[in-house]
Amino acid sequence: MRKSILLASFLAVSSFSVNAAEIKFVCYQDANECDVLEQMSSVWENSTGNTVNFEVVGYDVVRDQLENQLEAGSAPDVARITNLGGLNQYYLDLAPYVDAGAWETNYGATLPWYRKPSGDNGIYGWQTQLTVTGPYVNVTMFEDAGVDMPEEGATWDDWADALRVVKSELGLTSGLAMDRTAHRWAGPAFSYGAKFHENGVPILVDQGFRDFAETFVGWHEEGLMPAEGWPAGGGTAYRNAAPLFLDGTVAMHMSGSWMLGNYDANITDFEWKVVPIPCGPGGCGAMPGGSGVVAFSSTKHPEVAASYIDFLSQAGRAGYFAANTGNITAHQGLQKAGIDYSGVSQRVSEGLSTFAANAGKAASSTPQAYWFQGYNKNFAIYGIVPDYITKAITGEMSLDDALAAIDADVAAKIAE
Amino acid sequence: MFESILNLNSWFLFFTLYLLIGFVLSKEVYGLVPKIMSSIGWPIEFTQKLFGTKSLPYLFLFPNILIFGLFTFLPLFMNFGFSVTDGTSINFDSRDFSGLDNLARITQEVQIDTGGINVENDKFKAALYDTFVFVILQVPIMILIALFTAIVLNREVIGRGFWRAVFFYPVMLSPVVVAFLWTLILKRQGMLSQTLIDWNWISEPIQWLVDPAWTMFWSIFVYTWAHMGFYMLILLAGLQSIPTDLYEAAQMDGTSERRVFWRITLPLLMPILLVVTVLSLIKAVQAFEELYALQVGWISLVSYIVENAGIRGQKTFFGLGIAAMASLIVALILIILSLLQFYLTRRQAKL
Repeated sequence: MRKSILLASFLAVSSFSVNAAEIKFVCYQDANECDVLEQMSSVWENSTGNTVNFEVVGYDVVRDQLENQLEAGSAPDVARITNLGGLNQYYLDLAPYVDAGAWETNYGATLPWYRKPSGDNGIYGWQTQLTVTGPYVNVTMFEDAGVDMPEEGATWDDWADALRVVKSELGLTSGLAMDRTAHRWAGPAFSYGAKFHENGVPILVDQGFRDFAETFVGWHEEGLMPAEGWPAGGGTAYRNAAPLFLDGTVAMHMSGSWMLGNYDANITDFEWKVVPIPCGPGGCGAMPGGSGVVAFSSTKHPEVAASYIDFLSQAGRAGYFAANTGNITAHQGLQKAGIDYSGVSQRVSEGLSTFAANAGKAASSTPQAYWFQGYNKNFAIYGIVPDYITKAITGEMSLDDALAAIDADVAAKIAE
Repeated sequence: MFESILNLNSWFLFFTLYLLIGFVLSKEVYGLVPKIMSSIGWPIEFTQKLFGTKSLPYLFLFPNILIFGLFTFLPLFMNFGFSVTDGTSINFDSRDFSGLDNLARITQEVQIDTGGINVENDKFKAALYDTFVFVILQVPIMILIALFTAIVLNREVIGRGFWRAVFFYPVMLSPVVVAFLWTLILKRQGMLSQTLIDWNWISEPIQWLVDPAWTMFWSIFVYTWAHMGFYMLILLAGLQSIPTDLYEAAQMDGTSERRVFWRITLPLLMPILLVVTVLSLIKAVQAFEELYALQVGWISLVSYIVENAGIRGQKTFFGLGIAAMASLIVALILIILSLLQFYLTRRQAKL
């Protein structure tokens, strides 16, 4: 009898072990996102017997190497990515394995970012967080300079005037820094009236685009923006301007909500805050975005991978992720109900509220931002704008030639 | 642990089987040790029996050729394939044949897909021109400095060994470390700007690496600093191979130092100098790592290829094909330089 029980137990455990799957998850993090996902995964692992094998990598691995891995057939099962539309030919459609109706209700605004351009209703990924671009400000510098910060609704020109005074009073090298990518540039461009597309076809250089380009080049020429920023990069290279804000070179950094955790952890020698997105004649533009967790169609465990992602996307887990990483949730139900950010600092909590408000303003005043985020070739455009705007800043070409080149290069890069 | 034991058992089984086969197939020898050695080397004996001793060297060459072919010839053929096809994928079954369209995309004034202005042509020409300027200036400067340094360090100077190590040291540094070191010096708040401001030579800091007036100068400077030691060493070896009795005879004749250099040193050093020049030309055309890490304000040919190939996650439909075609043009330039080196070396050998 005892032998029968032992044998039955052994068979049960064996079959459990035989059916248990191990999925590989390639994850990048800005602060602690992968660490939190690992904590969450242990609950799923315990309840299903499956294993999630985390490989935490730098962002450049996900950005540069993942697609080649996918083409070579050596991709992971699951990955956290940012090029949501660009990799859609590789995604596993989760719809057969999950409650599609619930997904549409909770993530309907972000699901289109993963889909192919037309006629695709698949469910491809869990939007881990909603990110929004927007400025961080060195409050201590403004106080030391005796300059009042512009109020909500102020324009980019108002902020530029304030930053000039801060720069002059404190003898700063420059006042404002922006990451070298069209992803950050787009928000202010939208504020100046840039539309970025016409009936879904990217047409970058309109009057709003030109107006902001002239302003942006002018800010560099007068020294309001640093030579270590956009002019210091060549070609389409991305440059993060965070070091300039961290070391006190600039009083304002145009970045995004993903930097909240990083700044909260690393800035200890001055006060800083997130300010409402500056506006302009075209509205109050900000770029939405964020990363998502997707499974790839090459996975040997589609049902397991889909079940894992479905687990992560549930309201409780999505809320836990948002609260513990200091990010804005993409779960529409939780956006209405609110997230308990008691685990994060007041600064981060206030910053999240400001960024969430920025996203709302952008949705209503500059909806082209949401189109641009969902455009599946936006990654090619992100590098083209800095390439030529930098040449205009350094005087290598005139602004007119640079703008003509931007349009020509975008047309060539998106052609097939 | 169980897996590692299994692996260990597998290896042990494999090795035992290998020896058993060798024991059966190897030739008759007397003594335990000769028998064991013969059992280990049975593939060589077996091949020798099948193909004869003349084919044996090829057996030893085969692994190297296989690896060489895998990592040199295969990528070369794949690159050629990419240059005549279009598509974002690296798999050829997903790419469309396009003939010489990619060559047209980087050389023609009109963009063949849109009918508009072809900015790719401008970018490629700019990369070609800037790389040409870099090569034309950097190589002679480096060769001259390397030659001068080799001549000085060939003399009996105090601490000669130390100075040779000092000049060779940068060659051992990784390109990223070289770029990091010089970025600390050359960035706007770096040592150079601060020092010149302290000396009142400049009033405002300069972004040396990006300022169009300075970026090429510092690119050449840093690249020369990083690589000069290697060529200095080759020239030093060349100087030391010149028979000393020639110098003794010149000294006895009362020949001036200058005449000794032009009439004895330089002619006898010429073969090595030519080889060093062509090698550094080839290296300069391919300059990338230090320049990329320094983030200089111009795009070299290899940087242009890297940007278009979509290696930085910005794949476009024609990008890989354009990058592959550009790399074939670079390869053509390097082939011409290599043939020149071959011709000059043979000519010198004949002389």
